[in-house]
Amino acid sequence: MHWLSCRKTITLCIVFRVLFALGLDFYLSPPTSYAYYADNGDKVVEFINTGPGLLSASSPLTLYANLKESLWLYQRGMDPYGSGIGQVGVSPLYLAFSFFPTIAESGPLKTQLLSKLFGIFLWTAPDAFSAWFLVRIWKARASSRTSTNSSSSSITFVLPLIYLLSPYVILSSLARSTSVWENAILLGAIAWACESESEFKTKPKLNNSNSKSKSKSLLFLALRVHLSLDALILLPPLILILLGSPESRLAEPGPFALYVAKRRSVKKQPEEKLPNEPAENHLRSTILRAALNVLFEFMVYWTALALISTLIVGHWRWMSTTWGTSLSLPSMTPNPGLWWYFFTEMFDHFRPFFLVVFNVHLLMYVAPICIKFQHDPLYALFILVGILATFKSYPTLSDHGLFIAFWGIFPEVYPYLRHPFPTTLVLIHSALLQPLFAHLWLSHGTGNANFYYASTLVGACAGGMAIVDAVWAGLRIALERHGKRELKFVEGEEREIVTQQ
Amino acid sequence: MLRTSLFLISLLLSSVFCLENINEEFEEHLSIKSLRDGRVTSSFSFTTLLRDAIPRDPRTLAFDDDISQHYTLFPLSLGQILRQYAITELHLTLNAGKWNYDTWGYPDEPDVGVGAELRAWMAGDSISSIDERWQGVRNALAGLFCASLGSLDEQRTTSPRLSFPPEGALPDWGLPHELRHASHASEHVCTENLTPFLKLLPCKSLSGLATLLNPHRIFDADWHGIGLHVLWRPEGVEVRLNVQLVSDPLRISAQGKQDWSFHSLFDRKVEKACPVASSTRVSVELPNSGVYRVYPEPQEIKDGKAYYNLKNNNEAWNIGTMWPTDFEYRICHAALSPPDPALVPFSVTRNLLGPTQDRGELSIVLTNNQQDTLQLLYLETMPWIVQFYLHTIRVHSDNVPRDDLVSNISYVLPVPHARPATFESVLTLPGRSTLTFSMDVAKAFLRYTEHPPDAQRGWDLPPAIFTPLNQSLNEPMSLGSRVYTPSLLVDLATPDFSMPYNVIIFTCSVMAFIFGSVFNVLTRKFIVVRLDPPRNQSASRAEKRLENTDSDTSNELNTSKSGVH
Repeated sequence: MHWLSCRKTITLCIVFRVLFALGLDFYLSPPTSYAYYADNGDKVVEFINTGPGLLSASSPLTLYANLKESLWLYQRGMDPYGSGIGQVGVSPLYLAFSFFPTIAESGPLKTQLLSKLFGIFLWTAPDAFSAWFLVRIWKARASSRTSTNSSSSSITFVLPLIYLLSPYVILSSLARSTSVWENAILLGAIAWACESESEFKTKPKLNNSNSKSKSKSLLFLALRVHLSLDALILLPPLILILLGSPESRLAEPGPFALYVAKRRSVKKQPEEKLPNEPAENHLRSTILRAALNVLFEFMVYWTALALISTLIVGHWRWMSTTWGTSLSLPSMTPNPGLWWYFFTEMFDHFRPFFLVVFNVHLLMYVAPICIKFQHDPLYALFILVGILATFKSYPTLSDHGLFIAFWGIFPEVYPYLRHPFPTTLVLIHSALLQPLFAHLWLSHGTGNANFYYASTLVGACAGGMAIVDAVWAGLRIALERHGKRELKFVEGEEREIVTQQ
Repeated sequence: MLRTSLFLISLLLSSVFCLENINEEFEEHLSIKSLRDGRVTSSFSFTTLLRDAIPRDPRTLAFDDDISQHYTLFPLSLGQILRQYAITELHLTLNAGKWNYDTWGYPDEPDVGVGAELRAWMAGDSISSIDERWQGVRNALAGLFCASLGSLDEQRTTSPRLSFPPEGALPDWGLPHELRHASHASEHVCTENLTPFLKLLPCKSLSGLATLLNPHRIFDADWHGIGLHVLWRPEGVEVRLNVQLVSDPLRISAQGKQDWSFHSLFDRKVEKACPVASSTRVSVELPNSGVYRVYPEPQEIKDGKAYYNLKNNNEAWNIGTMWPTDFEYRICHAALSPPDPALVPFSVTRNLLGPTQDRGELSIVLTNNQQDTLQLLYLETMPWIVQFYLHTIRVHSDNVPRDDLVSNISYVLPVPHARPATFESVLTLPGRSTLTFSMDVAKAFLRYTEHPPDAQRGWDLPPAIFTPLNQSLNEPMSLGSRVYTPSLLVDLATPDFSMPYNVIIFTCSVMAFIFGSVFNVLTRKFIVVRLDPPRNQSASRAEKRLENTDSDTSNELNTSKSGVH
C-alpha cells in the first residue's frame, strides 16, 4: 500500500514537472512564433541559465551547451577533446548517445511537440529514477527496523516530494544539466548497494538477485565516477554498505567487525561480547578479503568503462579533459562552490600548492567519517555527499538538492540537531541571493564578483553547518539510546557511563 | 708603405667588385590614388632582391657554420634573423585604423588587419623545432622593430589551413612546411617602429622615395601601416618593405578641395633619387572622370595611370593633382544618381552581440554586390577567452534560413589559458544577397593575473579574414584578395583586483571553520556524568545537570566536551 502511494507521488510530481516545463516552453516560445530552428526547449535552458539558474544551475562540466557542442563535433568527425590539457569536456560515454540530438532535431512543425516532449522527458526521467531510488534506499534502511513505526509510510510519501519538488533539482533539470543524470546514477548505486546481500548479511531478501544488485551497484558507481571523478570519495562508504547493511544503527555504535560478527551469529547469543582473539582475526581477514573483492570488481568495471570511452573517442586524452578538469580547475566559471573565486584571485606561484590542498581537503574527510560511522555506513555516505556538495570543485545546485533530499532518509536524528533552523535560514538566504547577485554582476553591471562570491560563501557556510550538525546528531543519538539502556543496568549506582567511542 | 698601398688597392678593388655585383637589386615604387571619399592612399614599396639566394635548410641549423652573409643592399640585421631561424617566408604588418573596403576598394598590400600580424612559413621535420624557431623569430623581430611581438605567443598562434597560402615558392627539401600565424589587435604602430624600419633601407630616409616617410605625416593619416614581406622565388630571396597610408587632404585643405601633392601629403619633396636603386618610380592613378590636372607632366600614361621615373631628373620632385572645383560628397546625390558601382565584390560587418558578460553572439553580415554566386573562405582565429558553440551556427540568406550555405568547416579547439581556436569554413553567397551568420559564444572568466592592467576596457579580438575562392573547373582553387574585418572588443567579467588577500582569507576561514567543527565533533567522546548521588530512582534523572554550558539543554543528559575528561 505504501509502495503504491509512493509510486503515485512520483507519477504526480513527474506529471507536474513535465507540465511545468512544457508550460514554460510555450510561454517562452509560443507556437505561433516558431522559428525554423527548432529550439527543443533550448529557450527554457537559456531562460534558466540566464535567469534563476545563472552560474548555479550547471557547471562547465555539466552544461547542456557543452554537451551539445561535444556531440555536434563528434558527429561531424571532429575531436571534441582537442589536445586535452586544460580543456573542459564531457565524458566520452555521453558521446555514445550521439543519436539523441538527431532524434530530437526536428524540421516540420508537427513533430516539434513530440521532440519537445522527448527532450523534457529525457531530463525529467532521471529525477523520477532518483526519487524511486531514494524510496528504495529508505525501505532498505527501514526494513530491518524492529519497530515498524507509522512514520515509515509518510516518509515514502515525503521523500519523492523533497527530491522532485526541490527548486534546486527542478532548476538543474530545466537547465538540462547532466548532473541530474549523475544524481540518478549515484542514487541507483546506493539503492542497489543497500538492497544487496553480502556473505555477511543473513537477512533473507524478497528478491534473489542479491549478487546482481551488488554488481549493479558497483557498475553504477563506476559509471558515476566516470562522469565526474569526485564520486570516488563515496566508494569507501559504499563498500561498507555492501559488506554490512544500510540498517539504521546510529544508536548502537560499535566496530564494524563486531557488528558483522553479530549479524553472522544470527542472534544465537544476543549478549555475546567480542569474539575471542583468533576468531576476531579470522573475521577481520575475511572482511578484508571481501572488501578487496568488491574493490577489484569496481576496478574491473571502471577499467572497462575507461576502455569503452577510449574506443569511442580513439585516444586517452579524454581523461585529462573530464577527470583532470575537476582536479586542476582550468575553467574559472563561477559556481556555488568555494574553488572558483579562490583560484581566480590566487597568486600564480601558489596555485599548484592550493590545488593540492583543496583536493586533499576533500579526501581528508573520507577516512575519519567512515571510521566514526562504521556502524552505519549509509550515514557516512550521507555526510560525504554533503561534503561533496559543499567542497567539490564544480558543484551545482543539484548537488545541494541531493544532500537536502538525503536528509529525509534519516528522521531518527532530527531530535538531536542543534541548529536546524539557523541552517535552513542561511541556506535560503544563500539560495535567494545567488541568482540575484549573479545578475547584478554579469547582466546588470551594478554589482561585482564579490557579491556573488559572498553569496556562495554563505552557501558554503550553510552546507558546513548542515554537515557539522549531521555529524553531531549522528553521534549524539548514540549517547541518548545507549545511555538510557545502560542506566537500566546500573540503576541506583553512582558511576560514570562512557559510551562506545 | 707598400703593404698599406697594396691593402688600399685591394680594398678599392673589392669595393668596385661589390658595386658591380649585380646579385642584389633594389627598387622603390610609390603608387598614389585618389579615393572616392576624397582621401588619398599612398603605397610605398621598397623591394630588395637577393639573386640566386635560397632560404636556409633547417637541417643545417644543427651546424653552426652557415654561409657568410655579405650584403650591400639587403638588410643584414634582417638577413641574420632569417638565416638563424631558417625562415622560408615571412610577413609582418603593423597597422592602425580600419580599412574601409566599401569606399576605398582593395588596398595595394592586402594585409591591412588592425594591430600586429605576423606569419611565417617554416620547414621542419618536427613541430617542436618549428615552434622553437617561431618563438625565436618573434622575439628577434620584436627587438628589430621595437614592437610587442613577444606577446604573439602560443595564446595567439594559429596555423590556418587555407587562408594564407605562401606568396612565393617553397623550396623542395623533402621537408613539410608549416605556417605559423599570430595577430594582436591592440598593438599600435608608432614612430618607434618606423625608425628601425627605415634603417633596413639602403638609403635610409636620406634620399629616394623614403624621404617622403615623414613620421609626423604618416602617423597623422587616417589609416597607416607598415609591412615587411620576405619570400622566396626561384630567382632569389625578395624582401619587400612597404608603407601604406590613407591621408585626408580635405582635412588639411582650407577650401575643401581634394588637391594633393607630395608637399601637402608628406610635407617633403623628393630631392634626389636613391643612388643604389635600380628604379625609382611613382605611379598616380588618374581619376575616372572630371576635370583635373596632374603635375608635373607624366612621362608615361598607361592603363589609367601616370608614371614617373625619378631617376631621370635631378630636380626636386613634387608630384600632385589639382582639381578646379571643391570636392563633392557623392553620398548626397545617392538618391538622384544611380549608386556607384561597388569597389569590392562583397562587404562584411562583424559584431559581438549580447549584453551580459558570460555569453554573447557573434554575428556576421555579408552582402554580395555581384550577380554571381560568391564563395568565401572564412577564418576566425579567436583567443580562448571567447569560446564558440558551433552547434548554434545559424545561417540566413535574405532572412531565409539556409544551413547549406556553410560548408567545409574545420575547427581547432581552443585550450584554456594556452591556445586560440581556429575556425575555417566556406560560405556561399548567392548573387545580390545578404547572408547572416551567427553563432553563440561563451566568454571566459579569467584569473586575476591574466587580465591586462586596464581590465575594464575589454579585450581586442583579432579580425576575421574573408578570402574569395575563385573556383574554375580545370584549375585548382585559387584565392582572391583577403578582406579583414575590424577588430572586436569583448567585455569580460572581472574579479575584484584589490581582493586577493581577502578572498584567500575568507575562503580559508570558512573551510577551516567547517573542517575544525567536523573534526571537533568527530573526536568528541560523549559521556554521561552524574554529579549528585540519587536519592531515589525516579528523582535521579531529574537531578542531572549539565556540566558544560555549551551543550543544549533540551534533555537532561549531560553532554560534555571531548575525551580530555
